Amino acid sequence: MSQAALRTDDALARGAPAPILELKGLEKRYPGTHALKPVDLAFLPGEIHAVVGENGAGKSTLIKLLTGAIVRTGGDMIWEGRSVPLSTPLEAQALGINAVHQEVVLCRHLSVAANIFLGDEETRYGLLRQRAMVRDAQKILDDLGFHLPAGVMLGDLTIGQQQLVAAARATVRGTKFLIFDEPTAYLTRREAEQLFALIRRLKAQGVTIIYISHRMEEVFELADRVSVLRDGTYVGTRAIGETDEPELVRMMINRSLEQIYHKEHFAFGAPIVEARNLSGKGFEDVSITVREGEIVGLYGLVGAGRSEFVTTLYGRHAKSAGSIHWQGREVDIRSEHDAIKLGMALAPESRRDQGLCLNLPVGFNINLPVYKRISANGLISNGEEKRQAEQQIGGLRIKTPTRHALASSLSGGNQQKIVIGKWLNHGAKLFIFDEPTVGVDVGTKAEIYRLFGELLRNGAGIILISSYLPEVYELADTLHVFRRGRLVASHGFRAATDETVLTEAIGKA
Amino acid sequence: MSTETAAAPEAPRKRRNFNVLFGLTLLALLVVLWIVLSIATPSFASPVNIANLLRQGSMIAILAVGQTFVIITGGIDLSVGAVVGFSTVVTALMINAGWPVWLAVATTLLVGIGIGVFHGFGIVKMGLPPFIITLATLTSLRGIGLLMTNGNSINIQSEAFQTFSRGSFGGVPNLFWMVILVGVPAYVFLQHTRWGRYLFSVGSNAEAARLSGVNVNRTIYMAYTLSGLCAAFVGVLLASRIGIGNPTQAEGWELQAIASSVIGGTSLFGAVGSVHGPLLGAFILATINNGANLLNVNSFWQRIITGVLIIVIVYFDGLRRKGGR
Repeated sequence: MSQAALRTDDALARGAPAPILELKGLEKRYPGTHALKPVDLAFLPGEIHAVVGENGAGKSTLIKLLTGAIVRTGGDMIWEGRSVPLSTPLEAQALGINAVHQEVVLCRHLSVAANIFLGDEETRYGLLRQRAMVRDAQKILDDLGFHLPAGVMLGDLTIGQQQLVAAARATVRGTKFLIFDEPTAYLTRREAEQLFALIRRLKAQGVTIIYISHRMEEVFELADRVSVLRDGTYVGTRAIGETDEPELVRMMINRSLEQIYHKEHFAFGAPIVEARNLSGKGFEDVSITVREGEIVGLYGLVGAGRSEFVTTLYGRHAKSAGSIHWQGREVDIRSEHDAIKLGMALAPESRRDQGLCLNLPVGFNINLPVYKRISANGLISNGEEKRQAEQQIGGLRIKTPTRHALASSLSGGNQQKIVIGKWLNHGAKLFIFDEPTVGVDVGTKAEIYRLFGELLRNGAGIILISSYLPEVYELADTLHVFRRGRLVASHGFRAATDETVLTEAIGKA
Repeated sequence: MSTETAAAPEAPRKRRNFNVLFGLTLLALLVVLWIVLSIATPSFASPVNIANLLRQGSMIAILAVGQTFVIITGGIDLSVGAVVGFSTVVTALMINAGWPVWLAVATTLLVGIGIGVFHGFGIVKMGLPPFIITLATLTSLRGIGLLMTNGNSINIQSEAFQTFSRGSFGGVPNLFWMVILVGVPAYVFLQHTRWGRYLFSVGSNAEAARLSGVNVNRTIYMAYTLSGLCAAFVGVLLASRIGIGNPTQAEGWELQAIASSVIGGTSLFGAVGSVHGPLLGAFILATINNGANLLNVNSFWQRIITGVLIIVIVYFDGLRRKGGR
């Protein structure tokens, strides 16, 4: 397919391939909100079409409309020249539309093969043909170039591998039109490469790919065209060769890149925490110091021992050797409770599983670590509870109708702000952020980074764990690189090139 | 962004109204039942019957409160009926052995606490599912009670102890006063102390609660201990009411307690529940049973009606929650 054919919508009229799916004034209203304002957009066969936008921009709504998960309230969808209702997921699948979701939605207790064929099992005389399915699934996985065994339980695989299984499953069904929603959020670099190879191959077979990601470099690596949504409004579409990152970011938020990684430098104060030759499950002999006003970045591939190191620091797991010093004094941290009492705060990697009580109110979540402080004789002070919650909601600009709204009703970015808010409220001295911006849009990212600055100004220290190199690279005053459970290198702020850091993390010369 | 926060206070009021509305719906249901029954049968509204109704409902109501604490943490306590039966035996044995009544009662309550602690131990230390450990206690306690009594009922030789449950104070049966005695502190505990909050947080997301510094294990111990305590207390009341200790008493009360709790809006998935809900739920069930008796409805039908009611109420509650989002 030539570049020219993809260039603009005008080109369509001049004899480019007929679109596989056309949206004409497609919109979705909920009582009280206009989730997606009328969109006119055409998807071409065999193109990789990236869709970018902040959280709440309308991407999820668009996906749900395309996959029949929700029904449109206005406009039309033209599939191969014919208007279709697309009102059920079954109908979407029958057309050849499928999606790979950000969080794996498969059955952990079934085998990989059973998952791939779930709902579409091979049977003979009504009985499952288990061995045949494992064989066929293995063939599918091998064809895709994934080195995964089809016979094992899905739950025995890493999250990244599960994501690949989900992709394999979708390719079996989404024969014409496949949507990837933030597929690399939990993937290692290698797994991501495998996924990209798969996506390119599908494209070559003529499958239309919708690719949703917050990671700009992926968009530029993969996509043919990119469409931008902002606040439920379609902003525009660009051919990838005709645009650049600053332009896309401007379209998404009206803010420049430099403002996102806004790094403030503060004079370092006394050491807050020191790990001396600390060893534990998954890491060995790690010595790290965090001082007041300092961001210490921990970079490495998933499974390199960074998360294990901090959870040990936080008292979740026992250390096997070495010592921890808190403000100059050796301490014995036996539980999260001990760590919190000292003044540590952990914003864990998975908001949904570890960070928040989703079906409880925002205010409740914010106050959870401090209920002890805001109660007297066991009774909670209602006024204090309200004041603390509203202070954080206001200060962090958490988008919520009130503190009584359920945490689950907020967007990912705002949920992350709740996690941060509850620790601000607690007044911690050391903040540990484990992948704080996974699944968070650019605008919220910028706000989270701005918050880092405020924490530092107040004399706190930060440990920042990220698999996203630009993040640690641009923000960390000291950058430690982990590989296979060991600390392999340490650098000052921007002291090494990002290639060096990457090489150290991967371990190849 | 800040403009959106300004337009705030609409939604939460709605949510609260929904909760209040649900409470009121239950109350209205109860009142409607009473009015209908008063018209349908003259004996319903008699003071004797009302007092009787309050007595019938009280014990399940107290059980339901304890049960609700457990369910809010995402657990279940199947043992409460057995604990009630066992407690009647303990109380009877001790009173008959010449212990002062207060000491017998206090000891029984301690036994209830002990059983609750054991449940906590099984769940926290042994990693058993709540359903299993409390099911095990359910059957073993009945067995232990039968061994202790050789399968006989023990007549309690204390008139004073028995008159308590039959008496009333200010025109209200003593047993109903006991509901208030349990209900008010339970309400304060659940809604206005941090331990109440911790129950909710554990039921919502135990991992998040742990990382927030909540002692999850202690919270689980607390929930089952309170449930055991409520059950032992009900055992004392039942012993007083029927004047005997018998380990096979209170058969199936655990299910009535769970039903009351669920009718009262408690979610079996955890993190949703109140104190007033289960209380209303218990008295709705008691009214249905009482009314059915008075109307000479076959007692087999009462069970069916209860089942249907659970389905209907929980279904509408589910609709309400969806609408409330």
